[in-house]
Amino acid sequence: MNLLIVLAAIFLAGCATLSPDAGFSDVEQAVTQRTGARTQWVRSEDAANSVQARLKELLLKPIGPPQAVQIALLNNPGLQARYADVGIAEADLVQASRWRGPTFSFARLRRGGETEIERSVFFDVLGLITIPLSVRGEEARFAAAKNRAASEALRVALETRRAWFNAVAARETSRYMEQVKQAAEASAELARRMAEVGNWPKLNQAREQAFYAESTVQLARARQAEASARERLARLMGLWGEDLGFQLPERLPDLPKEPRQLGPDSETQALAQRLDVEAARRDAEALARSLGLTKVSRFVSLLEFGLHRNSETGQPRQRGWEIEIGIPIFDFGTARTARAEALYMQSVSRAAEVAIQARSEVRDAYGSYRTNFDLARHYRDEVIPLRKRISEEMLLRYNGMLASVFELLADSRDQVAAVNAYIEALRDFWLAESDFQMALTGRSPGASTGTTRTAAPAAASGGH
Amino acid sequence: MNTRRRFFGQSAAGLIGAALVSRVGAASLPEAPIRTTPDMAPPLQPSSGRPYSPVVTLNGWSLPWRMNSGWKEFHLVAEPVVRQIAAGMNAHLWGYNGQSPGPTIEVVEGDKVRLFVTNKLPEHTTIHWHGQRLPNGMDGVGGLTQPHIRPGKTFVYEFEAKRPGTFMYHPHADEMVQMAMGMMGFWVTHPKNPKFMPVDRDFVFLLGAFDIEPGSFTPRVNTMLDFNLFAFNTRVFPGIDPLVVRRNDRVRIRVGNLTMTNHPIHLHGHEFEVTGTDGGWTHPSSRWPEVTTDIGVGQMRAIEFIANEPGDWALHCHKSHHTMNAMGHDVPTMIGVDHRGVVEKINRLVPDYMVMGERGMADMGEMEMPLPDNTLPMMTGRGQYGAIEMGGMFTVLKVRDGLARNDYKDPGPYQHPAGTVAFEWTGQLPVAERPAPAAASKMSLKVRKPPAGHAGH
Ligand SMILES: [Cu+2]
Repeated sequence: MNLLIVLAAIFLAGCATLSPDAGFSDVEQAVTQRTGARTQWVRSEDAANSVQARLKELLLKPIGPPQAVQIALLNNPGLQARYADVGIAEADLVQASRWRGPTFSFARLRRGGETEIERSVFFDVLGLITIPLSVRGEEARFAAAKNRAASEALRVALETRRAWFNAVAARETSRYMEQVKQAAEASAELARRMAEVGNWPKLNQAREQAFYAESTVQLARARQAEASARERLARLMGLWGEDLGFQLPERLPDLPKEPRQLGPDSETQALAQRLDVEAARRDAEALARSLGLTKVSRFVSLLEFGLHRNSETGQPRQRGWEIEIGIPIFDFGTARTARAEALYMQSVSRAAEVAIQARSEVRDAYGSYRTNFDLARHYRDEVIPLRKRISEEMLLRYNGMLASVFELLADSRDQVAAVNAYIEALRDFWLAESDFQMALTGRSPGASTGTTRTAAPAAASGGH
Repeated sequence: MNTRRRFFGQSAAGLIGAALVSRVGAASLPEAPIRTTPDMAPPLQPSSGRPYSPVVTLNGWSLPWRMNSGWKEFHLVAEPVVRQIAAGMNAHLWGYNGQSPGPTIEVVEGDKVRLFVTNKLPEHTTIHWHGQRLPNGMDGVGGLTQPHIRPGKTFVYEFEAKRPGTFMYHPHADEMVQMAMGMMGFWVTHPKNPKFMPVDRDFVFLLGAFDIEPGSFTPRVNTMLDFNLFAFNTRVFPGIDPLVVRRNDRVRIRVGNLTMTNHPIHLHGHEFEVTGTDGGWTHPSSRWPEVTTDIGVGQMRAIEFIANEPGDWALHCHKSHHTMNAMGHDVPTMIGVDHRGVVEKINRLVPDYMVMGERGMADMGEMEMPLPDNTLPMMTGRGQYGAIEMGGMFTVLKVRDGLARNDYKDPGPYQHPAGTVAFEWTGQLPVAERPAPAAASKMSLKVRKPPAGHAGH
């Protein structure tokens, strides 16, 4: 018997040891698969040095969205804190798998001249029996920690991407506001000189001056928005000190030639790849297992998918993927198992909720993606060329002394405002694109924040 | 419309006998010739009826007729037309027989005149024979003296040309729109006696005003006074023909005003007398010499003079805006405004911007800048010494020796005899004692600073 216990203890201790990467390779793989960027849990000086070297290399050139995401995944300190959770969970798991081992006690008691020495060895027999159970629990917690870490990495990646687009757009906007201010400044200066030589009343001069004064306010706001957007990006990338001099490109990336399509397998892809769906499935599986539900196979079918094909006479064939939701029926029998049943049903409902939400989010994000694509394209192909034509015609009118230089300048302000509106539309497209990408492959994009929507400059047509 | 124009536009003569307008009335309707070229047709010598000495319509023509059992028959067709205002600008107007203004009608005192008027406009019209003695029912006031001529219909006007003189015709139905669209024409009733007040050259034209937005083709018919094109026979300088005369010719110029303001028409180099008004010939004892005659709205004047001073003499409306083409009436005055430093700022936003008006507006006449489509420069035209800087109601009376009787060809710029052109003084300038010019800003401040309270107001 004793021997048996000792052997069991040795066996259990041998099967659960701390892995060299603390289970982080799973996280790394999940993140790389979905973002194309590497992430690393920095636990040693060597690792820190290699991360720093990689950062320096990335910071040499202007940072694009992939580089920004890469930097954040290596350097975001909040993310590193979350990665530590994975190590903690693994440690808990290893701890749980270890038998407490025998305890020895020694007592020397003296009563008068009588001395009693008591030696005893205690074996934690109950612990030994419950080890498999607690290991199973810790395993689930470990898996959940890894999932949470990966999910957090994806959140940081998404927010970094969004912050990048916001920062570049804000920079472009403030550059355009600068131009508006220049136009207003030229108007005001000319107006001042006109009043000076007696060609204009003070009323007109004051009006031009007022516009200039307002454009100064707009420029200050735009510059502040630019600084704020850049700071947010810097925070997400975990940069400080001299690294804050990182460079961003001058312009947002161009609109893709054609928009992506929402394929029939898009929702399926989301259900297969999203971490939140996976977590819900794991939870339910684990619960089923711990409740001793052997017929989990039917339950699992909840999240299995089948090719859906509807044929009707005279109608085109409908195709798509469909989740099959099956509610398995168990004979729980007794009141004692009522709790188990309720818990199980709860996990089933939660999994269904997550799955339905994921599918809806894919459609929703695509709708936003597509609308923003169409809007940006409309600005690029319709609004901007029209504004350009208006400006050209305006110049022709000026040439013929049919319009004044003030009208010319007011028009150039309008043109700048239109270009700026296009920048914002393009930015919104890229934000929507990031969200769609995330909804499709990673996690719910809804939780992410950070669309710093700068107030669109008043495109007051006709100037004032 | 277009196909017809393109088809007949091939004809060099420009005078075209068009197909008859109505199959039913084919036998009884005279031809309705059209003309689409904008230059001056030679005087139409009478081939039938009483003899007379024909007039010359500036940038226009006279309508041929046919005699029909003692009636002189004309056919006017009211229709949309495209009129070249000057090279580089076409206007979409309404006119008669292919042009605006319509052809000049020439008859002789005592002629029995029958005028067929066909309406090819999208709305009804009538014709009023401005200044004529005629039966009330022939006066052409829609609703008052006759039913309107509906689109597609042809009406007949018959009356005797009782009084010799200078007349006009124009619609009296929706006339605000139809006159703004260019519906007008000249009418001359020659005296029965060709020896009565004979002249060697007899020019006629109508004054017209249009508001055609730069870059567009059709007049804004609701404009009341702020017109941007002032025209002689719907042509603006330099699109207007010169008045070519032989030295010592007796010249008559007849002008009718169908705009909404008066035009003081001014002739250089000669005095003239007003020999005719709307009411007929003026008594010789009532005439006095003039160099400018104001022609009121709806009025006509005939002026006469001996063209005995050779040269290129300006003839123009003396309202200076009326010798300009389209311009921005709200453009502020830039004279004297220093643009240094500002230009660069503006150029950063509008790369093709150039300063204009800093020294005045003569830049406009000198620079060739791209303009909106179908838009004429505000002032234009070049003479032998440079930019003439004119537009609108401006033309040139060219008096030359040795022209033939009926020669109206432009003889080119006048060759001034040596020593007869203004020249630059290259000698010493006297040093005059003058007060230093005060800075404009200080001056204006001094003048405009309001006194305390409101005592100064
Ligand atoms: Cu005038």
